[in-house]
Amino acid sequence: MTGMPETQIDWSKGVPLTAGNYFMGLYQPSPETAGFWEGVANDELRIKHCRDCGRLWHPKRIVCTHCGSSDLDWKKADGRGEIYSFTEVRRAPTPAFAASVPYALGLVKLVEGVFLFTRFFGAPGTIRIGAAATVDFKVLELGQKLPVFTVGE
Amino acid sequence: MRSDIGSKVAIVGIGRALAKKSDPEPKTPLQLGARAAVDAMRQAGIGRNQVGALFTGRTPQSYMVLQYNQSLMNELKIGPTFCSETTNHGAGALGALEVAALALDSRMIDYALVVTNEASGIWMDQVGSNASWEGDLQFEAAYGSTTPALYAQFACRYMHEYGITEEQCARVSVENRRWALDHPHAAMRSKGAISVDDVMNSRMIASPLKLLDCAVWYPGGIATAIVLTRADIARAKHEEVTYLAGFGQCSTHEWVGERMGGWGYEPMVDAPDMIRTGAGVSAIQAYEMSGLGPKDIDIVQTSAPFSFVNLMILEELGFCGRGEGGAFVDSGGVDYDGGLPFNTNGGYLSFGQVAQGLYNLTDTIDHLYGRSEGRPVKNAKVGMIHGHGGVLACHAVVIVSREQLQ
Repeated sequence: MTGMPETQIDWSKGVPLTAGNYFMGLYQPSPETAGFWEGVANDELRIKHCRDCGRLWHPKRIVCTHCGSSDLDWKKADGRGEIYSFTEVRRAPTPAFAASVPYALGLVKLVEGVFLFTRFFGAPGTIRIGAAATVDFKVLELGQKLPVFTVGE
Repeated sequence: MRSDIGSKVAIVGIGRALAKKSDPEPKTPLQLGARAAVDAMRQAGIGRNQVGALFTGRTPQSYMVLQYNQSLMNELKIGPTFCSETTNHGAGALGALEVAALALDSRMIDYALVVTNEASGIWMDQVGSNASWEGDLQFEAAYGSTTPALYAQFACRYMHEYGITEEQCARVSVENRRWALDHPHAAMRSKGAISVDDVMNSRMIASPLKLLDCAVWYPGGIATAIVLTRADIARAKHEEVTYLAGFGQCSTHEWVGERMGGWGYEPMVDAPDMIRTGAGVSAIQAYEMSGLGPKDIDIVQTSAPFSFVNLMILEELGFCGRGEGGAFVDSGGVDYDGGLPFNTNGGYLSFGQVAQGLYNLTDTIDHLYGRSEGRPVKNAKVGMIHGHGGVLACHAVVIVSREQLQ
């Protein structure tokens, strides 16, 4: 997937115009997310927590939009939740993911009430709205360890 | 509070430039944009020194320069008072009209030029690149998200909460295709009619979205330019005048994963969900500004890149009640024969998607003046155009009218 068919005029002087993999290569934690990834490195799911009003946020927050506080820290999540929405991906975005299809992506609602976008693992037919799911940590296709959810308590 | 700006601003010039991937010399968005802009100024009969404002939609994905508006301004040799991108994703195309209208109504300028252009179908791998643009790079893209997979989260909840069926969604694909067969520039024009079974049997992309539930990427590039002026100038100096009877915009989130952490504002006042979008808020603004309601609209275009989004947007624009999109379509609501004229060039599903918000607007204006390139909609006087971008994140709605309302 280079994005430029060979028959076309090379006005970009050979620089590939595909943004996909290039953009993914720009992935990096930002100051307000570094603590989340530190948790993932230790197999711990963390949620941003407002020390003033107690609200919880995912995937990040700079200022608590409920009370306006900047006094935020990380709280360890229970790790359990239920599937809120999902899809089974059959066509991968890039070659890196092609060998993994089909795989399930969706939103999980944690018991704390916070929603996460994640990868679901489960036997066929078990990934459905309302199904209980538990956090796990796996190294996915881009070589990055991520929190994923497995169907079941 | 109701705005009194409706119909105080009008479109007096249109320029379009289209290119195909198969053209011997592939065109860049800047080439197409400059061509369309000059044609729009020519049609309006204004010179370069009269352009008070230049607004572009977002930077073309296939021409990623910072401040694209400056590149285009440089190419046109104009000296605008206001010059900017309007960058709320695909909604920025129609959204730029709102900015232009405010600048004109304030009497700071007399003419505004609005240009949108994209040629990603010529230069890019849109499947791979768009997947990265639409997903949060840290929290979504790394999981292997695709554009259909992100929209599918909305489809999953919409179908779950309202009992919408895949067959109901498929029916929109079928009706959109019928319009495309009549339109000379539709990507799927030569592909023939499709049936609900064809949609249901097409290969799965990201459940429940199958290939024929998904927009086709436009195999080329499209630029559209529009010249706007105040209604008094339009009536005094211009022949073909189309009024901006009403418009509205609303953005709710950036990433799908962030959307469920946001509430406390319209349309998610009490709690977040995956159903209510800014399209409804935009439509209410546009209706109130124009003094019109859904029954007054003769022709509708949406920027729905998946079949189910059409059903959601029909609800949001007020053509049926909340949760009734499936039943509305089932009862022939958007049928090519006798339904609401809907996505009359084939829509994103069969015309193709290339950020053509303004193209759909000018296509609608063609119908109002009886010169449509595709199948004509007879006696159309008022049209509604919905544009959106991000994953149902940013929305804009514009109502155009041949007559000055208010």
